[in-house]
Formats: sequence, C-alpha cells, structure tokens
Amino acid sequence: MMELSRRQFLKLSGATAATLAVVELGFDPKKAQAESNEFKIAHSEVTPTICPYCSVGCGILVHVKDGDVVYTEGDPDHPINRGTLCPKGNGIRQLYTSEKRVERPKYRAPGSTEWEEVDWDWALGRIAENVKKTRDESFVVEEDGMTVNHTEAIANLGGAALENEEVYMIQKLMRGLGLTYIEHQARI
Amino acid sequence: MTTYSKLVDVTVCTGCRACMVACKNWNDLPVETQAYSGGYQSHEKPTGKTWNVLQMKEHETANGGFEWLYRHSACYHCADAACEKVCPEGAITYGEFGSVDIDQEACVGCSYCVYNCPFDIVELADYVTEDGDVRQRAQKCTLCEDRLQEGLQPSCVDTCPLDAIVFGEREEMLKLAEERLEKAKQFFPNAQIYNPPGVGGTKMFYVLADKPSVYGLPENPEVPTSAVLWKDIAQPAGKALLGVTMMGVLTGYVTNKLFNKGEHHEEGGEVDESKHG
Repeated sequence: MMELSRRQFLKLSGATAATLAVVELGFDPKKAQAESNEFKIAHSEVTPTICPYCSVGCGILVHVKDGDVVYTEGDPDHPINRGTLCPKGNGIRQLYTSEKRVERPKYRAPGSTEWEEVDWDWALGRIAENVKKTRDESFVVEEDGMTVNHTEAIANLGGAALENEEVYMIQKLMRGLGLTYIEHQARI
Repeated sequence: MTTYSKLVDVTVCTGCRACMVACKNWNDLPVETQAYSGGYQSHEKPTGKTWNVLQMKEHETANGGFEWLYRHSACYHCADAACEKVCPEGAITYGEFGSVDIDQEACVGCSYCVYNCPFDIVELADYVTEDGDVRQRAQKCTLCEDRLQEGLQPSCVDTCPLDAIVFGEREEMLKLAEERLEKAKQFFPNAQIYNPPGVGGTKMFYVLADKPSVYGLPENPEVPTSAVLWKDIAQPAGKALLGVTMMGVLTGYVTNKLFNKGEHHEEGGEVDESKHG
C-alpha cells in the first residue's frame, strides 16, 4: 500500500462524500417544501352569507384574502345545511370571480339593440319614474261596482336571497302600490 | 400507525355533483369543457384538471325496471399503488393520511403512472413554467391532504349533503361500511363493499349497490407484474449497482490521479496539476 499524504487523504474523503450524495443518501427536501406552502384559507377573512339560489337558504362562509374570494364553503354552524352544499351553492364563488359578472347597471333603451352602462342613481330614478307613471296610468279604483284599488300593469318578483324582514318590506311596498302580481323566484 | 380512509356509499348518492364542484373550488381547478356525450354525465372520467367525476350509469334492474347508478369516481389511493411503483422520479409517495401523493415539483410528466393506473384515474395536465413554457405533469385527487393537515375534512366529504362520502380512521370506516351495507341490502340484494385486495385495499372504497362490473369497475384490479418487477426487484438492484459503480469509478479516478501524478509530470502534464490545485 502506498503512503497517503494528508492532502491526498482529504481528497479521497471529499470524493467519497460526493459519491454518497450522488447515490441518494441525502436528506429529504420534499418535507421542507410541503411545510413552506401556506394553507389556502390561512389568514382569510370569513364572512357568513346566505345562498342566493333556492328557497332552502343554506348558510355559506366566504373566505376573502387580499381582496379576492379564495374559497366558499357550507357553514358548519348553520342549522339548515350544517356545512353541506349542493353543486349550485358550491359554485357561488364564481358570482364574484367570473369574468362574465355584470358589475354596473346596464340600460337598453326602447328599440335599441345595445346595452349601455349607466350609474345607479340614474337607473333607480328611471325605475321610480316608470313605476309611478305606469301605476298612475293603469290604477283601477272600482271594478264591477267593487272598490279594488289595484294595478295589473306591474308585477314583482322576489329572490331567494331575501330574508323574512326584507320580504315583509317588499310586500308592504308592493301592496301599497296596488300590485296583485307578487311572486317569488324560489316558488317557480 | 393510524391510517385513514374515505368511504363512498353510492347507494345513498343522489348524483348531485356537489363533490365535483367542491373539488374544483378548493383546488382552484379550471373549467374543462368536453363534447356532449349524449347522457346526463358531465365528464367521461377524472382527468388532470377534473379530479373527481360523478359517473351516471343507466341500469336495467332484474325485473325490467330502470334505475340510475351514481358513483363518485376519483383516485382510489391504493395501499399498494401501481403509480408509486412505476414512477421513475420517485415523485409519488404515500401521505400520512393514507393518500397517494404526486410531488408536483418532482414530476416530469413521463406518464408511466397514467399507463399503469389499474383504475385509469391519473392523467397529465398542462401547466405553465416560470419561463412561460407549457409542460405537462400528472395530477389527480390529493385527498385534500392540505385540509387534513389543518384538521379539516376533504372538501368533497365536507360538502356532501347526504353523507354518502365519509372520511375517518380506516377501522371505523370499515365498520361503518358494514353497517351501510346492511341497510343497502334491503334495497339492493347484490350490494357489496368494493375494497379490492389486488392493490392492497384502497383508501377510497365503496359500498356498491351491485357488482363492480355493473359500474364499469374492474372486478379484481391488480398492480401490473412489470411494475412489481421494476420497483421491488430491478430498481433496488439497479440503485445498489449504480452506487457501487459510481464509488468504483470515482475512487478509481481519484486514486489514479493521485498516484499517477509522477508520470503526468514526466509527460509535462501541467494542465492536470492546475485543475486539481
């Protein structure tokens, strides 16, 4: 056996270590990687809401992070659905994230084929004007000798996202205007 | 060690597809449009971007009646997974909650797992690299391992309105499956538990209303023999040989350089000296 100098011995040791690293006796980087990824809904702001689709009225939790809805799920504390959701309610996140979402009121003038963006004040004013005009034109005080005080020219359609109190208010307003066609989306 | 399982009792499933949407929602999976197949089913089978698909089978009963057979289909998380065996990158491993995981960083998109999956579940999906190139890698259900680590249930389990999908400790789930089977047998005489032993049992297992073949499931799925040969015999042997060879080559190289230095000097090989400085 030849004599090894200190320098030669170090070189040999280095080569051995390098070889062992090559043949996969190193540490496992996967674990470290997994721990560095943050949980999707960590530090998200959670807001409870009611599903707008059907009359069941399931509770939903909306997770917001950095101004974006990152996840929606059934509210486990809600007595109606207890954390579960149907596929439609599960897709509620897209109400906010979808590219097709309409963010401002749109107006299509009579006879026009184009929708134009309008502001809320204008839209609400226009609705109020038309309601008043239509009601005044079509209001019937008496019919076949009976006092009816109604209009059959306007109809109202409620939605499932309305709660008891809101529905009560709408009912009051519409009856006050003399409407008889008062319906609800969740009954259709 | 405690191991966990997802039990899918298809006999109470109404085919509402909430599990499909919840999966897309949690995992931020994109829309995947497919051509209309002529039935009520949305997608043909799970893909790299649609990790679970509700199968809807039209079935004629023994007395000539009609019934729907619904089935939540996703990765079965085999205890003895063929994909884990064939992956040349070692990117597929077993998670602490019984899942079979694909390490997205390590996957090179070779599709060995795609061809060897006995259930035809795992598929490749496109992704965009940091450089903007479009590449492919294998993707499938992760059993929501990130949620499990935080003490939550998988999103399909959480959302199921009928408790058709349940997750928990394997022993409990096996017990629950027996109870569910008893109930199912009142309506479906052929009802049975589908937990195929050919793949070591699956961590996602069914209570089926009829024979597996009626659902289009393999009766006795097995890990391909070639996969067993590759992973359990050829690969360890190859690794050992590779190690020995590398050691031999490197040691030989270094000793050769060290002890033959004199000769190099005689030949005037100053270049080697500077390299090893």
